Amino acid sequence: MARIIGGLGSPHAPSIGALIDQGGWDQPEWKKLMDGYRPMQDWLEAHKPDAAILIYNDHVTSFFFDRYPTFALSVASEHPVADEGFGPRPLPPVRGDSDLAWHLAHALVEDEFDLTICQDMPLDHGALTPISAFWPNHANGWPTAIVPIAVNVLQFPVPTPRRLYKLGQALRRAVESWPQDKTVVVLGTGGLSHQLHGERFGFRNADWDHEFLSLLETDPEALASLRTQDYIERGGAEGAEMVMWLAMRGALSGEARKLHVNYHGPLHTGFAQILFEEPAAVIA
Amino acid sequence: MVRQIDPERLPAGTYLNTGQAANRALRVNRLCYDLKEPANRAAFEADPEALMARYDLEPEDRQLIRDRDWLGLVQRGANVFPLLRLSQLCGDGLAGTGAQMRGETLEQYLATRQAKGS
Ligand SMILES: [Fe+2]
Repeated sequence: MARIIGGLGSPHAPSIGALIDQGGWDQPEWKKLMDGYRPMQDWLEAHKPDAAILIYNDHVTSFFFDRYPTFALSVASEHPVADEGFGPRPLPPVRGDSDLAWHLAHALVEDEFDLTICQDMPLDHGALTPISAFWPNHANGWPTAIVPIAVNVLQFPVPTPRRLYKLGQALRRAVESWPQDKTVVVLGTGGLSHQLHGERFGFRNADWDHEFLSLLETDPEALASLRTQDYIERGGAEGAEMVMWLAMRGALSGEARKLHVNYHGPLHTGFAQILFEEPAAVIA
Repeated sequence: MVRQIDPERLPAGTYLNTGQAANRALRVNRLCYDLKEPANRAAFEADPEALMARYDLEPEDRQLIRDRDWLGLVQRGANVFPLLRLSQLCGDGLAGTGAQMRGETLEQYLATRQAKGS
């Protein structure tokens, strides 16, 4: 039986990806942020998960508003690096895991999550920023297979916070019903507070971000009970994407332990990282 | 059932990507979306009017693009992520695009921040 050994949260801003490509890990202005990845990199290096389920949103790169899926799961064995308008990042194609992904597709649909199944899904910064930060030695390929699930957080109505939490719970059931002896992590991406449009551009709320991080550990049910409107008011319209972290949290057991948290928000966005470990990781 | 959004009580300066505004903005959004193709970026730089003609834009939208009026485009329903392809192609980075939407200069906006990077 496959098992979930941990959950990791990361922002997915393209500026972080650009910093990584420039080798800017020690740039003074961003050191507090980039250092936040070190314990996560060490943990991933120590546990070497076979696969990572990546909860992210596409930024109108692989999907356009003419036909816009609420949840889209990639079953591809490889994902091209997208050109978002400035040339593609210098990264190798992102290896998937078709067997796991098709298993998840069947299990999730049987569990009443009717996803769009995608066989050709280039990845943009929503996916590439976190994985290039978690696995910094990616020049010759990715050590862990990535199974991306894209969530609509851009064209309303978007799925509710509780729906994301339930998606995580369904992912846990789906992984545990995969008859392979493999280890899996779940990655929540985006946020935290920010707004990138309108006169409210630049809105941030560090108090709310810290409350979110603390409730994510101690009372995720309370976060699932909030409305989309609450997320927009407290964390900005684009910051409402932080509900994707609820899918990561929902996939963890009550025994998951928080090992690490970091926060740095000096510019447009309140950036945060978090690492949860399952008892299953320690046994393994 | 809990109502998730109160459209009439959104924070000021927030424009939700939904409803008739989203329908109306589909063509502008498509022009911006297609800028992920290098050939379309080159076409815009060579002759923006010719590229806009291909997308059957309304006169208001064409004028907002000519004016580099990012706030006006968002208010007409354009989504910020495709729009950033256009604004950055026109030389306004994320901070510059945002400063304009706030009604500030880039310097004024960055003065409200602890970091200066884009
Ligand atoms: Fe995002």
